[in-house]
Order: sequence, then structure tokens, then C-alpha cells
Amino acid sequence: MNFLQSLLTGFATALQGWGLLVMVAGVAWGIIGGAIPGISGAVAMALALPYTFGMDAATALVMLAGVWAGANYGGSIPAILMRMPGTPGSAAALMDGYELTRQGHASKALGISLVCGTIGGLISIIVLIAMVVPLGNLVLAFGSPETFALALFGLTLIAGLSEKSFLKGLASGFFGLLLTTIGLDTLTGSIRFTFGRSELLSGVDIISIMIGLFAVSEMFWQIAHPRRVAMEPVSRAHTAFPTFAELRAVGRATFVGTIVGLIVGIMPGAGATASSFVAYNEARRWSKRPDLFGKGSMEGVAAPETANNAVQGGDLVPTLALGIPGSNSAAIMLAALILHGIVPGPFLLSKHPALVFTLFAGLILVNLLMIPVGIVILRGCLVALRLAPPALVASILAIIVVGTYAADLFILNPLLALIFGIVGYGMRVYGFSAAATVLGLVLGFLAESELRRSLLISLGSWTIFFTRPISAALMVLTFGVLVYPAVLHIRDRWRLRQTLAGTATGPAHK
Amino acid sequence: MKEITSAAFLVVFGGTIMALARRIPLGVPTDPLGPRAFPLALGAGMALCGVLLAVATLAFRAQPGRAGLLADAGEDEEVEAGPFSPGRLIGAVVATAGYLAAFERLGYLLATPIYVAAIMLIHGGVRGRGLVIAPLATTVLLYAAFRYGLRIPIPDGILEGIIRW
Repeated sequence: MNFLQSLLTGFATALQGWGLLVMVAGVAWGIIGGAIPGISGAVAMALALPYTFGMDAATALVMLAGVWAGANYGGSIPAILMRMPGTPGSAAALMDGYELTRQGHASKALGISLVCGTIGGLISIIVLIAMVVPLGNLVLAFGSPETFALALFGLTLIAGLSEKSFLKGLASGFFGLLLTTIGLDTLTGSIRFTFGRSELLSGVDIISIMIGLFAVSEMFWQIAHPRRVAMEPVSRAHTAFPTFAELRAVGRATFVGTIVGLIVGIMPGAGATASSFVAYNEARRWSKRPDLFGKGSMEGVAAPETANNAVQGGDLVPTLALGIPGSNSAAIMLAALILHGIVPGPFLLSKHPALVFTLFAGLILVNLLMIPVGIVILRGCLVALRLAPPALVASILAIIVVGTYAADLFILNPLLALIFGIVGYGMRVYGFSAAATVLGLVLGFLAESELRRSLLISLGSWTIFFTRPISAALMVLTFGVLVYPAVLHIRDRWRLRQTLAGTATGPAHK
Repeated sequence: MKEITSAAFLVVFGGTIMALARRIPLGVPTDPLGPRAFPLALGAGMALCGVLLAVATLAFRAQPGRAGLLADAGEDEEVEAGPFSPGRLIGAVVATAGYLAAFERLGYLLATPIYVAAIMLIHGGVRGRGLVIAPLATTVLLYAAFRYGLRIPIPDGILEGIIRW
């Protein structure tokens, strides 16, 4: 079957049965969830995960992709209307978006955000499709050593996910890897860290842990640190489509946003927040009217919003081609695969081509659905924004408990979510990275099993990782990625020392 | 202080994992690494991270004039969010644990409205009708979504056999 046929079959599969309804529901929940401050795209996806239990893998992935895309736009609604970003990625759009609202152009700003975001999302999906297939063919040459080297390289992303401390990020990643060792060892049948509990023999439920680390901890954080901010949205706002002339005026910013979003998305660990701010700055640099930025520039809304959405396609390149999630949202996509019995990794495309092509088709469809759903759902977002935070937090916690219980009709799952909610809260307070733990969780099984298989093949010789070209190249790359930040850190420390020494001796020279 | 606490925790936790990993059987001779090595290495790695974190923190603080540059993680977030209320956090955790304990025994329909109302009270700022409407609405909507939408049996607890929907 050729590429086009596969894609057309993907469209047919994505649309069969309840497909369209599931996509609409995913996008709608994503927009509403994203609009509620405190529920990021990843949290909205984590909350939607239990509802995908009864679906097949392709429908579940497409629904989650819809939530992800929807949340990217949803976060911009409170950013534009209330100067309160719903998701971190929409923070850059509030600078000019809220300024436009103050000037009475809220509906126009929402329209620019929706249309440019959709354009960015669609282009990024096309680039994703163009890149994943060749990369997927490359990994056919992979054996156990290459797969382990790739998993190891993926784990170096911890450096990018550790915002506050590399050491704490590394420890967080180790913690995630450690969690995957709980249960029966598949190679030898040894029992590890079950403490005599038969429920743990099959390992811990990754989904419950993720929901605990992301969603429960966030709810506990909101309860423990209550914000008393008046949330009074602009109740008469609607979505006004930009005219052709307006779209032409923001064309350059949209282009810049798409390129930035794609590049930043492909770079693991960077994410939507970085991309939207970089896009904002670059759009100002390339704009004919940089003076308008910060004062209600349409370009100032278009660029970050396009980048924010274009990240999704870029992010999915390493996720689908290599099995390395570049962000929390991508990690949840991979967790959904595990949930449906599919092992994520470099062989996803070769082993499950129909699934990947259905996801491609679904991604295009959910991005197209963004516009009609976005227009209709705006009223719902305004209602959600008026909900009292206590009712919202309490309802979300109840949804989490019922959702995680529904997975296996097993009370251990919500209990795990509670335990990891507390763990996640503690990690946040002490500056550890929950995202790094999730990365370890997703890659842990692959890393250990492929490492041991490789050593089994080589009769215990570690040189196997350095005598095969792809594996050796990945090892060198991993080493470089680990050493480069350390070199930069030492250089910065040296410069700081020089500066401080200069400041200390400065007056004496006068 | 948070850095030193984190470092101490990592050393203790990593050490505990190493001790527990040593109890895992070595496995089979054909598996050169065995089931013990990976968790043992991870425990060692976490302990090492703790040691390095402590050394880096103490070394940085030992240099006069630079201690101020070392900000404790999380402090910036506390500025963005409201002030920390330990009572609310403990209350939420206890209420959730109680909800899980009652979920199957008491049943979803009885436990959920009580739990939602409890969390709303702990969160604060809600009184009167809101404390009744939101818990009941959440309970009914979720029940309908799971029981009738997804056809997943939600535990009826003590109402088992009494209710017929």
C-alpha cells in the first residue's frame, strides 16, 4: 500500500463509527480544559485518558490529539480576555491579546488566535508526516543495542525537562525508571519491589501515576495555595473571523510562528511555552511594525499562537518516529499506547502502520475541527471560567478517582493516583521534575530490557554499543548532550567568578 | 534548606533502594546483567545525585557574597500562588483517602457528594446552595457518563440491590 492510500485509509478509519464525535468531544474538552487556569494541555489529556479505555488504540490517540490541539487554543481564551493564561504556552499571547481586548477588539483577537493557530497546527502535521515516514524506515535497521542507545539518548532529555536543577531532574528520571522495575521481571521471572503484594506483580499502572503526578498534585496545589483572583470574563466576546487583508497582515508572523513552533517542537524538552515566546520575539524582529508589539498588535497574537499549535506536530516527530516523548503531552500519548497494549518505540511505524496513519489523519481532522468547535465552545469556556474554583477542583478530583477506578475496576489505581499526587506535590515544592519522572516511566522498560538483551547477544561485552555504527553514533550523541550543558555551566561559573573578582577588586584599582 | 533536605532525602532513598535491590535474586547465568543490576544502579545514581547536590549547595554557600544567588526551588512559585495552607492540604489528602476507603463499601452515589462537598469546604469560599448543587450535579453527571455512556459498572455499595436504574 502506498503512502497516499495509507493516509486515505487512515482518514476512513479515523472517521468510522463514533470517530467524528470522539474527535469533537476531544477538541471541545481540550478547549474548555485549556481555558481553565491550572489545567494544562497535559493535565487535560491525563484527565481524558480513563475515558479512552473502551476505545480502540487509534480512536483513543486521535481523541487525545484533539484534547492536545484544543488545549493549545483554549489556554489563549482567558489570556486574551482576562490577562490570565489558561496554559503556560498561551502566556506570550496575552501581551497583545489582552491589549486588543482593552481596546474593544477581543473577538478579533480570538479569531486571529483560532485561525492562525489552526494554520500552524495543520502545517506542522504535514511536516510531521513528511519526516516520520523516512525516519521510521531508518529505524528498521535497529537491533537491541541501537534501541537501548536510543532509549538512553531519550533519557538525556531529562536535562531539558529539569528547569530548576539538573541533579534533581536526573534523580527524578531515575525515580521514574525505578518505578518500571516494580513487579515480575519479564526476562528471568524474578519478583522485584512488590513487598509481598500480588497486585504489584504486573507492575504499577503508569496512567494512574501520571494522573497523580500531573493532575492530582495540581489540584492539591490549588487547594493548598488558594488564589483569590476575581475571574470576570468578557461575557459578550465571540470569535470574529479575520478578513483576508488581516490574514495577509499577519502572514509574516504566522510564518515565523510556524517555523519556530516546528523547530522548538522537534527539540525535545523545549515545549510550547518556549516556542511561543521565541516566536513573539522573532515576529517582532521581522515585523514591519515592531513598535505596535505590546500595544495591541495582531501579529503579536498570531505569532505565539501559531507557534503554540505548531509545536504539536514537531513534538510528535521524535515521539512517533523514535518513541521518545519530547513533552508531557507527548508522554501521555505514549502512555495511551501502552494502555492499549502497544509498546511505543522506534518500531511503532513498522509494526503498526495503520495506527500511525490513522493518527496522522486524525491530527489533520482535529486541527480542521478546531475552527467550528472553537467558535461554538467559546460560550462554554466563558461559563467554565465563571465556575467557582472550589467546585471545579472538587469535581476534577472526583473525576480522577472515578476515571482511574474505571480502568480495571480496581481501587488500587485511584490509590496510586492519590499517592503520586502527594509525591508530585512534594516534588514540586522541592524543585524535582515530575516530567522527568514520567519520561523515565515511559522509557524505563525499553531501556532495561534492550540493555539486557544486548548484553545477552554480546555474551556480556559492553563493546556491542560501540562497534555498531548507529548505536555508536547515538552513544556519542548522548555523551555530547550530557557533557555540553556541563561545559556551559562550568564556563558560566568561571565567568561569574571573573565578574565577582572584578567587582571585588574594582574599587581598589581606582 | 530545601536543597539540603532534598539531598538528604536522595541519599537515604537511594541507599534504601540499593539495600532492597541486593535482596533480588541474581537471575539466570545466560542473563549477564540480571534483574538486580538495573535497580541497584538507579539507587546508586539517586544517592550520588544527593551527594553531589549537597556538595554543590554547601560549596556555593561557603563562598561569601554568592549565597544570595542560590534561590531555593519552589519559592518563586509560592509568590505566584497564594500563601501555603498546610491545613487545607492535609484536609484534602485525608478527605481523598476517606473517599477511596468509602468508594466501594458505601458506594459511589453516597460517597461522592459527601467528598465533593468536603473538598469544597476545605478549599473555602463556598457557602449555601453551592455546597449542595455542585456535589449533586457532579455525582449525577459522572454516574450517567460512566454507567450509561461508557457502560462501566460503578460500585453501588450499600445501595446494591436497592437501586434499580
